[in-house]
Amino acid sequence: MPDQNQSNTCDEIIFSSFFKSHVKALRNFLFYKFGNAEQAEDITQEAFVKLWQNCASVPLEKAKSYIYTIANNSSLNQIAHQKVVLNFEKNFIGLDKTNESPEYLLEEKQFQAKLLKAIENLNEKQRTAFLMHRVDGKKYSEIAVELEISVKAVEKRIHLALLSLRKEIDL
Amino acid sequence: MKKNRLLAKWLNDDLSPDELAAFEASPDFEKYQKIKKYTAHLDAGDFDENSMLSNILSQKKAAPKVVPLYKKWMPRAVAIFVLALGITFAMKVFIPQTETADFGKKTVFSLPDNSKVVLNSGSEINYKKWNWDSNRHLELKGEAYFKVAKGRKFEVQTRLGKVTVLGTQFNVKARKNRFDVVCYEGRVKVNYGNTEILLTHGQSVRFENGKQIKMTVSSLQPEWMNDQICFYKENIRTLLDEVERQYNIKIDLNTKDTISLFTGKLPAKDLNTALQIISTTYHLEARKVSNNKIIFDEK
Repeated sequence: MPDQNQSNTCDEIIFSSFFKSHVKALRNFLFYKFGNAEQAEDITQEAFVKLWQNCASVPLEKAKSYIYTIANNSSLNQIAHQKVVLNFEKNFIGLDKTNESPEYLLEEKQFQAKLLKAIENLNEKQRTAFLMHRVDGKKYSEIAVELEISVKAVEKRIHLALLSLRKEIDL
Repeated sequence: MKKNRLLAKWLNDDLSPDELAAFEASPDFEKYQKIKKYTAHLDAGDFDENSMLSNILSQKKAAPKVVPLYKKWMPRAVAIFVLALGITFAMKVFIPQTETADFGKKTVFSLPDNSKVVLNSGSEINYKKWNWDSNRHLELKGEAYFKVAKGRKFEVQTRLGKVTVLGTQFNVKARKNRFDVVCYEGRVKVNYGNTEILLTHGQSVRFENGKQIKMTVSSLQPEWMNDQICFYKENIRTLLDEVERQYNIKIDLNTKDTISLFTGKLPAKDLNTALQIISTTYHLEARKVSNNKIIFDEK
């Protein structure tokens, strides 16, 4: 059987590399949204399974928007917005690596805890956009496409996120 | 730049040097700077990508959907059918209806308001079903008897004139130059050229070549309805025309006496008797040339 009219999304190697380059970002996106890693991973898997099953009708160029659409739609059904529990990178202690005085370390710890708490308290929309930029290093234009909103709206959300973070930390 | 996106621009290093300098001078700058630096080191946690991938690849691919041909064509076929039905209905309602009675035949039919019409031989009626109740108008060629249901005005248009009535029974005959209207019940308004005449029951009017003759009628229905042909002071050619129509035959006349007028009744279903009556009245001899051709010779 000639595979001419079957899209290359069905090729296992191509699919795998597509998966590798997008799975982390998708999972993180869902994680920021729900604050639940397990749920995020379930939906991520579900989205990729759907893509795999329907690979014949989804060309590779459309695969990304396909999985994000599924992710966005599935999250409509989720009500629980739990708090996002994040961590700093394992070896990250602070910006000033030479200073190891106990006071400094304590201050650092306190600041980091405050920041994480403030991020937890952001509303879901601001948090998602903010973390997609900070953690995944995405451009605003990418975020806009994935969230299905405009770039201006992304910028507004991030601006508001920064404002409220600063307020919370000041307390 | 809009004020409500300033921080986002800064976070993305999109500020112009001027804007950046202004922002750096603000008292909050250092706090934002710290947030920016620290959040660059956030971690969302890890998960097992590889096991997820193998999980996904182990799923069966969906079989390409096959839509059976009939499923694709069924709705179209149904749509076409419904459309055809609709058009047929519209044609019935909007297209003018034609009722005819051939030579030697009579046609009885009802109009949409249940008015009864009997068409005499060799006649034709055209009318529209659409909006019939408020526009009762029809065109008549030949002769017909109407029993009109009560309602709005009822118009019969002929080549020679117009007859307007309210619920009533009447007969209209428009042949060659002859225009006869007989009213059996109710009231009938007759227009012929510029003349307008009102007939009540039992009255009739005849226009021939512009001449007007008014008569009274004692019968309750036209005689032709009872298979009789009734004549009143009729010349022989007109009389024979009527006989031709009733029996669907051709009659030739070889005589000079065409002035004598005929008053009386002829049977419409008994040709021999009819021919005999004509022969005796006019002193003629009927000769059957073929099945539908008769010649009258002088005796």
